[in-house]
Amino acid sequence: MNIFIIASMLMFAIGITGVLIKRNAIIFFLSLEMMLNSANLLFVGFAHRWGNEIGHIWVFFVLVVAAAEAAVGLAIIINMFKTKQVVDVDQYNTLKG
Amino acid sequence: MDYAICLGMFLPLLGFIFLSLGGKYLSRQQISQVACGTLFVSFLCFLGLLMQHVFLGKESTSLILFQWIHVAGVEANAKLTLDALSLMMCLIVTGVSFLIHVYSIGYMDHEDDYYRYFACLNFFVFAMLLLVLAGDALLLFAGWEAVGLASYLLIGFWYSHPPAAAAATKAFVVNRIGDFGFLLALLLTFYLFGTSDLTAIFDNASAQYPIGSMWMTALTALFFVGAIGKSAQIPLHVWLPDAMEGPTPVSALIHAATMVTAGVYLVVRMNPLFTLAPETLQVIGAIGGTTSLFAAFCAVGQTDLKKVLAYSTVSQLGLMFLACGVGAFYAAMFHLMTHAFMKALLFLSAGNVIHMIGGKTEMNDMGGLGKVFTKTNIFFLIGVLAMSGIPPLAAFFSKDLIVEQEYQTGHYVLFYVAMLASLLTGFYLTRAYCLTFLGKLKVDSSTPKTFHEAPNVMLIPVGILAFFSVIGGFIGAKPLLMSFLEKVGVTLAVEPHEPTFLFSFETWMSIGIALLGVGASFLVYTQYKGLLPEKPFKVLKQAFYIDQIYDFLIVKPYQQLSIFVANFIEPTVFGGTIRGVAKTTNYAAGTLQLLQSGQIRSYAAWLAAGALFMILFFALQM
Repeated sequence: MNIFIIASMLMFAIGITGVLIKRNAIIFFLSLEMMLNSANLLFVGFAHRWGNEIGHIWVFFVLVVAAAEAAVGLAIIINMFKTKQVVDVDQYNTLKG
Repeated sequence: MDYAICLGMFLPLLGFIFLSLGGKYLSRQQISQVACGTLFVSFLCFLGLLMQHVFLGKESTSLILFQWIHVAGVEANAKLTLDALSLMMCLIVTGVSFLIHVYSIGYMDHEDDYYRYFACLNFFVFAMLLLVLAGDALLLFAGWEAVGLASYLLIGFWYSHPPAAAAATKAFVVNRIGDFGFLLALLLTFYLFGTSDLTAIFDNASAQYPIGSMWMTALTALFFVGAIGKSAQIPLHVWLPDAMEGPTPVSALIHAATMVTAGVYLVVRMNPLFTLAPETLQVIGAIGGTTSLFAAFCAVGQTDLKKVLAYSTVSQLGLMFLACGVGAFYAAMFHLMTHAFMKALLFLSAGNVIHMIGGKTEMNDMGGLGKVFTKTNIFFLIGVLAMSGIPPLAAFFSKDLIVEQEYQTGHYVLFYVAMLASLLTGFYLTRAYCLTFLGKLKVDSSTPKTFHEAPNVMLIPVGILAFFSVIGGFIGAKPLLMSFLEKVGVTLAVEPHEPTFLFSFETWMSIGIALLGVGASFLVYTQYKGLLPEKPFKVLKQAFYIDQIYDFLIVKPYQQLSIFVANFIEPTVFGGTIRGVAKTTNYAAGTLQLLQSGQIRSYAAWLAAGALFMILFFALQM
């Protein structure tokens, strides 16, 4: 059981690190998906441990939402590229106080 | 007969409302008809009431117009009381006012704002009647303030003339000091008695408090502070000489005959309270005596005709308070009445001259006017002699009564003060007469527009006043005014002498003093000019530099304080606080806006840090 939790925590940690240090929007987005899937992994792990199928079902829901979100996210990245010809997130900082 | 009281009192108010709203559309003749007409009817009402009092033996009428304030511990009604005292005052006020209204038709004939003048004058009469008729201290205070307002408006009638505007403000501000005392007295009245009904106050006071009790002394002293302000006694006398900036009929009506006597009226009206406070009476006597002597000296030094009369008014008011101080309230009222006639006469005949030579009041520029103003000359002379106490004219009786009362009650200091003031009265009035009417004609007859005797509309009121100044003294004799006022407790301190041809010592002395004052002045200013040294007169002309002292002690420091507040307190304390709030907000916003960098990754970092913080927080709590 612990292996699930440890793996999930690792995935989450790697994901958040990626979000914080990577400037490339694609990698940034990838790290984001990774954090999402760490939660999925935890769902599956606990469902297996407690013999409860609701966890599995939730994973499917999350996957569906993630797919839709990936579509939107990629569309945003394409538009970012179209405006500045770069996908470096630090370049898009015009919305500041 | 309630109708007559209301009619008499509210007609001038109606006149005021009518004139102030519609005066623009009326001709001058119509305006004067409305103003004088309302007053004449009002005078007739009070004359009718007098007949009723005299022939039907009516004592007093009280009339509650409406309930005013009824809350816990405070009870005040709009209550009018007509008794002998207020009736006498009403007759003086409406009678003299009517004459002065008629006179004003001539005096103000070439002025703009004709209707404003008459509207204010009508308002004044209403306010004065309200003051006099009030049977409730709070209502009396309302009238008290209203006459102050009317006085302010009329002193500043020529408001575009800076000294007039300044004099109006000065009068108002100085009066506020006195009014503050009056207001405190009202608060104390409510505290002690829970009502401001005069009858109830008098009954409760004599039942609850012994003579000389501390509360009564405090209460009467506070009322007297109000009287000091209104009646221009030391130390608040400074406004009255300046008030001469107003039109002369206004000076005659408000600042000589009626409004300034309100303080005396207040003391006499409240005499049941004042007799409970002998200490206050002593203070009143002392202040009255000091003022009468001081102002008489000041009057000797004035070179402005109206200011001589103004200081003379202050001096005579001082004599009235002197009489109140020994408990001779009747003597004060008697002198108030004769003074109203005589001083109105003096002011109006001075006004004739001033009007006809084009508004100049400086006596050094006059002289020899008796040849031109033959009738005014006689009227002014009657006023001078009456005021100086030459028998058998009015002030001989009234002033003599005051002097006699001082002597018989054993107040010898006040007696000699009154004597000296009488001597000076004769001196300065004769001086004014000599400088104005005798000697060489100094006015260049080409400068004024029309250089002749005043028109009849101005002469007839003066003539009527002169008549009353001559016979006024006889009205006060034992069976007439005195027994009339005795009914309401306005009495003398001791029984006066029976009138005999063998006058008493005091009477001979006061006749001698009057003749001495008039005679000495006449000789000095006609035969032996330059006999008196110049220097003391300069001090007297400046009224012992009281104005300058006040300026130095109060006005200047206050101005400095204001400037200090404006330049230092205002920008630092108040402005500083406001600016401080603004700067703090601005600084905080400037610092916090750095957080909103637009960097997605920094937002994510904050998010992660926040989440971490919350997880740790809950984890540690468990």
